[in-house]
Amino acid sequence: MKGADRAKNTLLNEIIKCRACRFCVDTCATYQASEGVETMSAYGRLQSLRYLLMGTLDLDDSLVYSLYSCLQCKQCEIVCESKGQSLEICSIIQLGRSLLSQKLEKGESDAAI
Amino acid sequence: MRQSRALISEALRNLKNNMERTGDPLGLKNTYWTDWAEGLNLPKEGSIILFTSRMYQMMPYIIQTTDLISTFEPFLAMKGLSKVIQIGNRLAGEKIIRLKARGAKEIKEKGAKSLKGIVAALKASGVHPAYLYEAEPYSGVLLYDLGLDENIGCYIKKVYELLKNHGVEKVIATDPHTVYMLKVVYPKYIEGYDIEVKHYLEILSDNRDSLKRACDFIPREQFVIHDSCIMTRGLGIVEQTRDVASSLGIALLEPENTKLNTVCCGGPIEYAFADMSEKISTIRIKELYGVTKNIVVNCPICLINFSKYEKQLGLKVLDMGELLFEALKNQLESI
Repeated sequence: MKGADRAKNTLLNEIIKCRACRFCVDTCATYQASEGVETMSAYGRLQSLRYLLMGTLDLDDSLVYSLYSCLQCKQCEIVCESKGQSLEICSIIQLGRSLLSQKLEKGESDAAI
Repeated sequence: MRQSRALISEALRNLKNNMERTGDPLGLKNTYWTDWAEGLNLPKEGSIILFTSRMYQMMPYIIQTTDLISTFEPFLAMKGLSKVIQIGNRLAGEKIIRLKARGAKEIKEKGAKSLKGIVAALKASGVHPAYLYEAEPYSGVLLYDLGLDENIGCYIKKVYELLKNHGVEKVIATDPHTVYMLKVVYPKYIEGYDIEVKHYLEILSDNRDSLKRACDFIPREQFVIHDSCIMTRGLGIVEQTRDVASSLGIALLEPENTKLNTVCCGGPIEYAFADMSEKISTIRIKELYGVTKNIVVNCPICLINFSKYEKQLGLKVLDMGELLFEALKNQLESI
């Protein structure tokens, strides 16, 4: 298995641990500032990343905006921990970015993972 | 949201190119990163160093770079024009940023005061760190945040080697983002990482009695505290800020969302998404000035993001370092 595939599997395995309780949604500063767009919340970002990794979604402007506008402020992680799940959401999003950034930086027209 | 893909691609290319050319995220060479330390006579070598990672010094440049990006943003999706902007940025970007940053005297002064205040407080607490001056590298935090993994691994190793070559055993960093990089991220890339990393507020909190004795300060105003997210949730540094303020005779007021529940200032995404960043900072600043018009922060990114409201809303935004500077002015004069 190549490094990128391994990283992709690791990410998917982490994302599916999310139990979709959605308590992290309301606390996200970008969700509040975007007046309730779910892809701008922690939960929304995890799901966007999940479907991007599975090949269901294409990497378009809205997806890049969603993933790269995460503040990495860890507000969602506090809520996740309080609900007994303790997902490292910011690290998952950062890992997702690292899979995308090499391609985006090279300006590859097909930047899907 | 429009052109986000083009915008991020351009930001990543610029960052990678700048780091390769100059070792600086903004691509700046021979700037005044060390001017603040003039006259302090800090030793250039030592096992304990003060590490600024240029974060306070970069503040005027960050403001100008963000303005420049906002100006070019509408043209990035146009293929031909995007290329012209890329070349233009490389040729003239640095000059424009430098020229405009020279005008941003107030924020430059705030950065210098903060760093001087931190040094004075450390000395008053019996800690005398060295400073690497021109040899001090950037921590690489932006490379990491943006997921440039191919580059960050090599860069971190270079910084670690440089620190080891200078005999560094302990780093006292002046901002939370640098502490997070050196304490949490670096060990993931370097086996046997053995540099102790602390934020200056941790050191001052441990020595608060000495700090209290050295202070010559009668605060006349009340301040509301804005905790940095990375400081509290990333590093668990919460009470140390209050301890240090209390040593200066200041009882900090707490906003609705504070300590581990603090709200982001919006700063981390200003490099690309200025509109969203502003919406976030507006929400937070309203919460803060609802308590009092004097705001104290403990991170240079928060300082940049909230300082822009000083004139607009008649606020006073100070960094913890600036408070230390005011409290220890007399000590600085004797250095």
